[in-house]
Amino acid sequence: MTKAKEATTPVLRLTDVQKSFGPVHALKSVSLEIHRGEVIGLIGENGAGKSTLLKILTGIYQPDRGTIAVNGATMKFRNPRDSASAGIGVVHQEQSLFTNLTVAENIAMNGAASKGYGTTFGFYRWGKLNKAAAQTLEIIGSRLNPKTRVGDLSFVDRQMVEIARAISVDTSKNATPLVILDEPTSLLERGETAILEREIRKLKDFGSVIFVSHRLDEIIRNCDRILVMRNGELVADRVTTSVTEDELFKLMVGHESHATKHERRARPVNETPAIEVTGLTRKGKFKNISLSLHPGRVTAIVGTSGSGREEFSRALFGAEKFDGGTIMLNGRAARGWRIPKAVKRGMGFVPAERKVEGMVGGFTAAENIVLTHPGDAAFGPFLKPWKRNKIAQQWFTTLDVRPNDISQNLERFSGGNQQKVVMAKWLNDPELRVLVLDHPLRGLDPGAAETVNEQIKAACKKGTAVILLADTLEEALEMGDDVIVMRDGIVSASYDLTVDNPSTLDLLERMV
Amino acid sequence: MTATISDTGTVAVANAEKGKRLRTAGKLWQAGGPLVIFIAMFAVVAILTPAFIGSGGITIVAASAAPILLVALGQAFVLNIGSIDLSNAAITVLGAILLAMLLGPLAFAAPIVVLAMVTLFGAVNGFLLAYTQVPSFALTLGTLGIFKAASLVVSGATTVYVSQNKDVVSPLYTTQLAGLPLTFVLGVVVAVIAYLFLRFTRAGVGMTAIGKNESGAIFSAVRTRALKIVAFALSGFMAGLAGMTIIAQAGSASAMGLGSDLLLPAIAAAIVGGTSISGGVTNPLNVILGALTIALVPIATAAIGVAAEAQNLVYGVVIIVVVALTLTRSRTAIVK
Repeated sequence: MTKAKEATTPVLRLTDVQKSFGPVHALKSVSLEIHRGEVIGLIGENGAGKSTLLKILTGIYQPDRGTIAVNGATMKFRNPRDSASAGIGVVHQEQSLFTNLTVAENIAMNGAASKGYGTTFGFYRWGKLNKAAAQTLEIIGSRLNPKTRVGDLSFVDRQMVEIARAISVDTSKNATPLVILDEPTSLLERGETAILEREIRKLKDFGSVIFVSHRLDEIIRNCDRILVMRNGELVADRVTTSVTEDELFKLMVGHESHATKHERRARPVNETPAIEVTGLTRKGKFKNISLSLHPGRVTAIVGTSGSGREEFSRALFGAEKFDGGTIMLNGRAARGWRIPKAVKRGMGFVPAERKVEGMVGGFTAAENIVLTHPGDAAFGPFLKPWKRNKIAQQWFTTLDVRPNDISQNLERFSGGNQQKVVMAKWLNDPELRVLVLDHPLRGLDPGAAETVNEQIKAACKKGTAVILLADTLEEALEMGDDVIVMRDGIVSASYDLTVDNPSTLDLLERMV
Repeated sequence: MTATISDTGTVAVANAEKGKRLRTAGKLWQAGGPLVIFIAMFAVVAILTPAFIGSGGITIVAASAAPILLVALGQAFVLNIGSIDLSNAAITVLGAILLAMLLGPLAFAAPIVVLAMVTLFGAVNGFLLAYTQVPSFALTLGTLGIFKAASLVVSGATTVYVSQNKDVVSPLYTTQLAGLPLTFVLGVVVAVIAYLFLRFTRAGVGMTAIGKNESGAIFSAVRTRALKIVAFALSGFMAGLAGMTIIAQAGSASAMGLGSDLLLPAIAAAIVGGTSISGGVTNPLNVILGALTIALVPIATAAIGVAAEAQNLVYGVVIIVVVALTLTRSRTAIVK
């Protein structure tokens, strides 16, 4: 292979790739080229065909038609192993590392692609293994010790191990590794995101990157070129320097953003707060937290992962204990605080771990919606399942849940549509007074995120007080009436946004 | 826009299509499987021993299915919340012994007292599970030992005969409705009530929610602890009813006698009846068919010429085969 040829042969070329599932045309002829050293942003709503495309690239699905060429050679990936040995590595948003193994072992655990990586006839050769892992880590500029147990690492360090594993493919054949980062930042805190972004830039020196994210600002910051998918097709291929976030939103969703501005409500003077917390303390987690939430206002709590804001919000909902302090709901003290009691008194909670805590997979969407607040579908302890569908159908229409099939198992909806159903579960309470939202937009595409945000605003209009643990500081400043900053378990600053106007930098300074 | 269906998470999708096929198989099994297996089993028996069908064999099968059905229904409740109750068959024996002893002095009050006691035994199981979080497998293995020991101690390791007032419960066995003993009819009635409870009450749906995803149920304000206690209490109660059918039939009870070997057949009946071993799926009406199928096993094996001693072998094989065929591998839940 000559130098000149190498320069012009794309790392990856897809020609007319198609895939259907029964009658569903998930991919309708996708053709694209990715060159060495490029960082490609791939965006699209849930259901646009992004995941299908990624699964074809990683050998999980086989295309019905079309060809895949890697470094000029046509490939047929029968399984993830084939794809990995062709130099394509993936970093999933939900990490897939073995936490009880060391960094080096995890890097070597890349199936056939790492054949001979620190092993001889399948036996570990620890010296060789650790050295090879150290080399791989050096390529991506990480100074992690290969002998560290992955379980002892921070989240962002684990992500580095994932990247190392993704590129630990055989580079001896002069192949250019292609790393696919599937929403790598959705679970990271702000500081960690910056570290990861720096690493992505380093990857350009020796390989190419496909970066999948729902955060348009992030895509614009990191990518050279942006591919937009909609309804199974590539609808745009733009050089980053010539696009704006609004333009990308429109390309993805198909229409302009309908987002309305949150109408801020000034802090009322003589009004019973919806919830009033005094000196709430849990040893080692949070200390002496006092705040009062008024109906119709959003209180955004920001902080790093060790700030105690998650534990505090869970304690409010009765999901975790607290050692001291009081919670008053509508002027009445909360005693023996547990979830069923909190819910009875008009609280709701949208957990960050949607699949584990937010919903009951295996139940239909309709069953999930009426599980907690059955409304007309119950008479005392008895249920009237025939009334369930009407309630569910109303929410499906209001929230534009897709597919519009209320009796579908909730597990089978996409993340954004699941989150809409989880929201509906709480909004179905006509007496909803306090709604706690723990990272409500995590992993949501912009369309679904807009729907969820609109519902938060609608709930506020009806007099619900909202506590928001936002993904980003921008989200907190956009949605909040109050912003509370937590650091090491205490409130380090609080701003009333109807009066103050802090910048993200101000918040960041109080966070770390 | 149905494309969203194929666009779920990122983990473990390699087996998505296979998983879907298995899920469909699971759905079909839940709907019609128990009936198909029952008919097949019935056909085998009818062909091997045609005389059996005509000569009151149905009555015999229904009578032997009754205690299996009652214990299996209790087990189905516990399996449905994602746990297992290894002690409920031992509660049946203990309940039968207590009833045999108390019928004389207490007469009509005896069944009520005994049922209250066994319900309490079950509730204690549930309470320990909910508050100590010892996995149900280990917990009920422990209480199984305790109940067995209690049976031996209470009965003095001998057979306890009902001294008087036998006719308080014996009509349950001697009375027949359309050729079926009342004990079996009682089982069917309990199954119907259980079915209605699971589908038309918030508590029933809450139990199923626990079996499908306990964390999700907790965060949906389902009273998981209370419902676990109720599920185990119901298991104890139904085990007690099974003990009552044994006294009705035999008029005596002992730690080693009739009904002392119900654990395996009852679990097999629940599973053949479409109850999922990993929780969240059961249909008490299908458990009736499961119990009848299991009650036919001894007759079929005898006809083939398998020794009566080897019956548990058949139950064991049935459990493994049915679970292996119907387990949805997409969800590798640990049996708790």
